[in-house]
Amino acid sequence: MPAGHGVRARTRDSFSRPFRKKGYIPLSTYLRTYKIGDHVDVKVNGAVHKGMPHKFYHGRTGRVWNVTKRAIGVEVNKQVGNRIIRKRIHVRVEHVQPSRCTEEFKLRKLKNDQLKAEAKAKGEIISTKRQPEGPKPGFMVEGATLETVTPIPYDVVNDLKGGY
Amino acid sequence: MAFVKAQKTKAYFKRFQVPFKRRREGKTDYRARIRLTNQDKNKYNTPKYRFVVRFSNKDITAQIVSATITGDTVLASAYSHELPRYGLEAGLTNYAAAYCTGLLLGRRVLKMLEMDDEYQGNVEATGEDFSVEPTDTRRPFRALLDIGLIRTTTGNRVFGALKGALDAGLDIPHSDKRFAGFSKDNKQLDADVHHKYIYGGHVASYMRILMEDEPEKYQSHFSEYIKKGIEADNIESLYKKVHAAIRADPAAKKSEKAPPTQHKRFNLKKLTYEERKAKLIERLHALNAAGGADSEDED
Repeated sequence: MPAGHGVRARTRDSFSRPFRKKGYIPLSTYLRTYKIGDHVDVKVNGAVHKGMPHKFYHGRTGRVWNVTKRAIGVEVNKQVGNRIIRKRIHVRVEHVQPSRCTEEFKLRKLKNDQLKAEAKAKGEIISTKRQPEGPKPGFMVEGATLETVTPIPYDVVNDLKGGY
Repeated sequence: MAFVKAQKTKAYFKRFQVPFKRRREGKTDYRARIRLTNQDKNKYNTPKYRFVVRFSNKDITAQIVSATITGDTVLASAYSHELPRYGLEAGLTNYAAAYCTGLLLGRRVLKMLEMDDEYQGNVEATGEDFSVEPTDTRRPFRALLDIGLIRTTTGNRVFGALKGALDAGLDIPHSDKRFAGFSKDNKQLDADVHHKYIYGGHVASYMRILMEDEPEKYQSHFSEYIKKGIEADNIESLYKKVHAAIRADPAAKKSEKAPPTQHKRFNLKKLTYEERKAKLIERLHALNAAGGADSEDED
């Protein structure tokens, strides 16, 4: 039999629900709101058959560009040949999770704003740029004893005692 | 001893998926809940209100609830144990009391949102199907009926509460198919029969029947009614007065009791490691003592 290439081909495991998490999906998925410009992860929920994205998009992260009654338009990058195309898909909210990719950036923005405001109040100049991790500082080795090891001359008699 | 094959093996427990907590308790129908609370995504954070009606053995709870991720918030609530404040002392879980509770909740919500002058609703309860007409200034307050796990049958008290809320002026999508007095043969709502139920007419006719045929049963069954001096003939006027009192002052009254400083505990407090060890040592001592006594007896 030839290999099938249907829309849901090879999705037996990726679209299946996790162990002991089958059945009704918790209500928080339906109660979340998404605004245009938010970053979302696409993760297919096999329990809901409508509004499923194609298996390529499972695990991709994109931006919201449209919000409709029950679904969200997500813009995802896809490499086609030698270029990357921005693909716009519509996905039902059950297959979408809010992404944490920008969380660290947003927190850093807030902290930096706060630091800059404090520095301005004090009148000092600070740099809020992130620095890469430098080389580790030098240190003294504690509690080390010296053991000198020298080779012993080969003794035929003793070595052969074991077995010959 | 007969050898019985274990039904629930270890494998059974390892693979068992526990249902949601409220499903285990048998209190929430998640299929209905998903469909009731799901709000259109292009309406963002606009709350979707449910008109929740629940019956217990001695009380009726009517609430307007909206769902959030942290938990449902109740906008307003009305209980049938508040009805004595408006003059209804007995029969707090019948169809007429459900109507009063729904009416109380509806007027309370409208007053809270300052819409009670605009939307008077159906002041004279006739039993006919009544839907709110939107005025020019504001659209009516919309809620969706949440029945819970009740079986929808014609004449259920839940629909009495629904009728009360509708007559109060809330916009609740409904059909008259399940009101008391709807006949399946004609496919029409008999407004007179419904009117009778709203004013406790069915209770009054049962009172009359019992008074005629079984006076002792009447005394035992309607003892509270007799104590409060409610008779079959003045039931309708009693409910009319209650409706008027509700419309006059639907605001909720704060109870004077101070909130308890320490919450009441309903389950056992979890023991610490030391406490559990101490308990075990005590049990072992007791066993040893009992075992020592037994062996002495045997000897």
